[in-house]
Amino acid sequence: MSSLGTRVWSSVGKKLISGLTGLGLVIFVCIHLTGNLLLLVGADAFNRYSYFLEHLGHGAFIYFAEAGLVSFFALHIVSGISVWRRKAHARQVGYAVRGDAGGPSRKSLSSRSMLYSGILLAVYVPLHVAHFKYGGPPIIQLDGHEARDLYSLVVTEFKNPLIVALYSGAMLFLGLHLRHGIWSMLQSLGLLNRRLLPPAVTLAVIVSGLLAVGFLLLPLYVYLNPQVMPLTGGLG
Amino acid sequence: MSLDAPNRALDARSPSGPLDSRWTRHLEQVSLVSPANKRKRTVIVVGTGLAGGAAAATLAELGYNVLSFCIQDSPRRAHSVAAQGGINAAKNYQNDGDSVWRLFYDTIKGGDFRSRESNVHRLAELSANIIDQCVAQGVPFAREYGGTLANRSFGGAQVSRTFYARGQTGQQLLLGCYGSLMRQVDAGRVKLMAHREMLDLVVVDGKARGIVCRDLVTGQIERYAGDAVVLATGGYSTVFYLSTNAVNSNATAVLRCFKRGAFFANPSFTQIHPTCIPQAGDYQSKLTLMSESLRNDGRVWVPARPGDKRPPHEIPEAERDYYLERIYPSFGNLVPRDIASRQALYMAQEGKGVGATGYATYLDFAEAIARQGENVIRDRYGNLFSMYEEITGDDPYHAPMRIYPAPHYTMGGLWVDYNLMSTIPGLHVLGEANFSDHGANRLGASALMQGLADGYFVIPNTIGHYLANVRLDPVSTDHPAFAAAEAEVSGRLAKLLGTNGKRTVRDFHWALGRIMWEKVGMSRGASGLETAIREIQALRAEFWENVKVTGSTGNFNKDLEMAGRVADYLELGELMARDALERRESCGGHFREEYQTPEGEAVRDDAGFTHVAAWEHLGDTVAPARHQEALDFEFVTPSTRSYK
Amino acid sequence: MSTMSFSLRIWRQDGPNLPGALQRYTVHGVTDDMSILELLDRLNEDLIAQGQDPVAFDSDCREGICGTCGLVINGVAHGPKSQCTTCELRMREFRGGRTVDGLLEITVEPWRAGPFPIIKDLVVDRTAFDRIIAAGGYVTVNAGSAGEANDLKIAKPDADAAMDAASCIGCAACVAACPNASASLFTAAKIAQFTHLPQGAPERARRALRMVEQMDAEGFGDCSNHGECEAVCPKGISISNIAVMRREFAKALLGGG
Repeated sequence: MSSLGTRVWSSVGKKLISGLTGLGLVIFVCIHLTGNLLLLVGADAFNRYSYFLEHLGHGAFIYFAEAGLVSFFALHIVSGISVWRRKAHARQVGYAVRGDAGGPSRKSLSSRSMLYSGILLAVYVPLHVAHFKYGGPPIIQLDGHEARDLYSLVVTEFKNPLIVALYSGAMLFLGLHLRHGIWSMLQSLGLLNRRLLPPAVTLAVIVSGLLAVGFLLLPLYVYLNPQVMPLTGGLG
Repeated sequence: MSLDAPNRALDARSPSGPLDSRWTRHLEQVSLVSPANKRKRTVIVVGTGLAGGAAAATLAELGYNVLSFCIQDSPRRAHSVAAQGGINAAKNYQNDGDSVWRLFYDTIKGGDFRSRESNVHRLAELSANIIDQCVAQGVPFAREYGGTLANRSFGGAQVSRTFYARGQTGQQLLLGCYGSLMRQVDAGRVKLMAHREMLDLVVVDGKARGIVCRDLVTGQIERYAGDAVVLATGGYSTVFYLSTNAVNSNATAVLRCFKRGAFFANPSFTQIHPTCIPQAGDYQSKLTLMSESLRNDGRVWVPARPGDKRPPHEIPEAERDYYLERIYPSFGNLVPRDIASRQALYMAQEGKGVGATGYATYLDFAEAIARQGENVIRDRYGNLFSMYEEITGDDPYHAPMRIYPAPHYTMGGLWVDYNLMSTIPGLHVLGEANFSDHGANRLGASALMQGLADGYFVIPNTIGHYLANVRLDPVSTDHPAFAAAEAEVSGRLAKLLGTNGKRTVRDFHWALGRIMWEKVGMSRGASGLETAIREIQALRAEFWENVKVTGSTGNFNKDLEMAGRVADYLELGELMARDALERRESCGGHFREEYQTPEGEAVRDDAGFTHVAAWEHLGDTVAPARHQEALDFEFVTPSTRSYK
Repeated sequence: MSTMSFSLRIWRQDGPNLPGALQRYTVHGVTDDMSILELLDRLNEDLIAQGQDPVAFDSDCREGICGTCGLVINGVAHGPKSQCTTCELRMREFRGGRTVDGLLEITVEPWRAGPFPIIKDLVVDRTAFDRIIAAGGYVTVNAGSAGEANDLKIAKPDADAAMDAASCIGCAACVAACPNASASLFTAAKIAQFTHLPQGAPERARRALRMVEQMDAEGFGDCSNHGECEAVCPKGISISNIAVMRREFAKALLGGG
């Protein structure tokens, strides 16, 4: 029989990997949104939260988490690309006419566009990270420590209509990806049965919708609310 | 004319002594082949239905090299897959008085006392082992809430001994068998040859040593050699054109063996199944069976007044004739198939038939649904009901089904002895392809039982006896007998393609089917049979002058496949009519109009016909010879079958 | 009811690895009760009478159980009616459909998947499925070694779930319909049948690993959980069976199979 490596990278092994990494990434996205929503509470809460994360475990946690996230992303992307490559190989001659079977099929715009929404997110995420992690925000004093004023960075960016449009677009694609992704990862992990399957799909629609709305709330709130301004009046 | 020829070595090799220990003692006495010698033996198994699939798998388990052939693209598609209702076994799980003896007796009586006591008793004994084996394979039989196996009753029996898997019993048994076969393929003990059609048997020194087939994908003619040939190619109801059989079910393998010297037993014994969906038009390619199990809950009726064309729901109870319950009060709707079919024919002849053709009768579930609820009925027959709805567009939960008899199963087949060996040494025949266990009529849920008994338990024990006692010189496919057989096969195919006439293969088949249905069908008379023989001969002559077959032999060519099969039906049809003509009595599915009571019940002639008629091919221009194997009834007394 | 006339676009291809194309044929006088295969029978009778090569398609039982037939009809495997094989599809289902020049138009294509090479026209080679079963779709038990059937008690819900999975007819519509040409539903149905039953439990891990390995080796695509397979399955086999396969596989991986 095949080696362990072949088994892990088999069609079913890849689904387990894709599901597991997807689950990790969805949990991350949920935590991320919760943190982001502190922006609505105010500058202080938001900056304290980022300071807390950056200094947790003497600064080790963030690197640990980032390493984890990077590897999850990488595995998720590579397994996704592999699915696409095998698909292209498995049907080289397509159908002249394509119809939808209807009925219990779960095929949707979301399921058909997983690769494309995935690619867009894969392009978006590094840019997003570069922007906010290495964007070089002004330094402020927080309880006697130096802290990065991420609040002002975010607010400044979201006053720019182009950034708002790009960010919002990315979040719509995130929602689209998760519309299929959330129930699909549960199915990929073998957690569903005939009874749980329909509610899992409903759950995916609701959660992906809430996440997208949650993320969209921030740029719109900042852009449309003239009361919200950077603490330090501009960035270098 | 085919007057009875002197018996030519028709020794059934039935053991003697007490009936219930015959098989056990036979097993103790047959010769064995050692494991080392089994590895040196190659067995060719043709067909992968319940009999062939079980035989191929089991022979491989024993250590033989097996070459397994099927006409379909996968062994899993053999027509056993379509059996719906169930499989009988004398387990007596229901504590309703069942026993091996009762199953034996029901089967031999159901066959109208035209089968061998020894064979039928062995079948009843093995029935229990089959259920054990299938359950061990993971066949998902229906179960009770307590986890035990469920049973239902079936036509012709007063006990509940039928095991089932929804309406897909044949499929599930076949998939169990197919799994075992594929396990042996994986282990390298079975070499699987799918999409092959056997076109001839190769006989060397009087023994079956190989086959010639056509690869249906490439069109190549191929030769295969072995130490024995096991034929499990099913029945020949497709002679009737419209039947419940599959498109690829055919009689070529058995007919070719007949022409090579294997005797054909009781060819006229065909079963017309009472519960099929009526024909809707001339284009129709098959008749779909509705499992007989439906008669457990459905009530058969026609309007009491001939010519009553009202829709069923407008006919009040008092104006309905539940004719099976009326004529046969003790068995009612559960009478055997031959009786139910013939009564349906009588109703149509009296003008009481319903449906577009006026030949159908109603099968009504209204009372069962009212009594047990729609859910219970849905659980039992859901897939059958939806199949009916798909085909007819009517909903049987709310309107009675219309049903009609259709050619279904052939009790006749190649003659075999107790070891399932034909008159050609080395050629063994299993399942529906042989004639052995069902006499003149087969009871419901016993075909699956026979196929699996033959494949799992009989042939694995009896083939060794042949192989251990016979001297087999090495034979390769270069042997002149192979070359001669291949030349004949190729010549035939070339002739079919070269005729280039005007009439299509299907048209000939259709014409033959009409003759068979009208004159060699449910009700047969001497003058009709004589006419049928003349008509078939004329049709056969026309076929070879005027058939139009397209394409070439070197590739996938359905038209050519069908042409060869229809050519063989045109020979077998005549043999069936001859057998029906010579059997001057009514028994089981063979109903001769001249031999009936005033009430229209069959009249057997035990003095003249308590025998198997085995036909020997003597040449294409000579009538076949009719031999007899006398049937001795030591343990049961043939009585008039009564289901009243 | 009046008869119908059809304009059929049918895939014609002389053999494996040869070029093919859709060709148009007209059939008149089609009745509601005809199946689409009987329509093709009719067309073939006409073609043979004209000395033309009939359309090659495969079918056997013509009652929806053998799994031999299978056509992609107007882009849907086994056509528009759910839980219905091609052979059981009656022409009444096409009433009111798309017309071209007053004729109802139907496009008929073969199953399309790399592991199912076309033999001729609409006939494909599905022996890949046999090899997947050979890799482990059975219980290892020799004839004669079985114990008394009723000694093994199986709860009715388990037996029913096993039967649901076991009802697969191996037609391969699931592969044909899958946007990825995955054989997951077919493979999973067999694995799930034995997961619901106590028989064959000692070989569960081996079965899951080997069958999945064979499925991959045949070149089928991966599953993306679209669920088209369940929608076209003539027996309505649920994709929940695919979840079962993944659980079995994960257990086998962790258990070291």
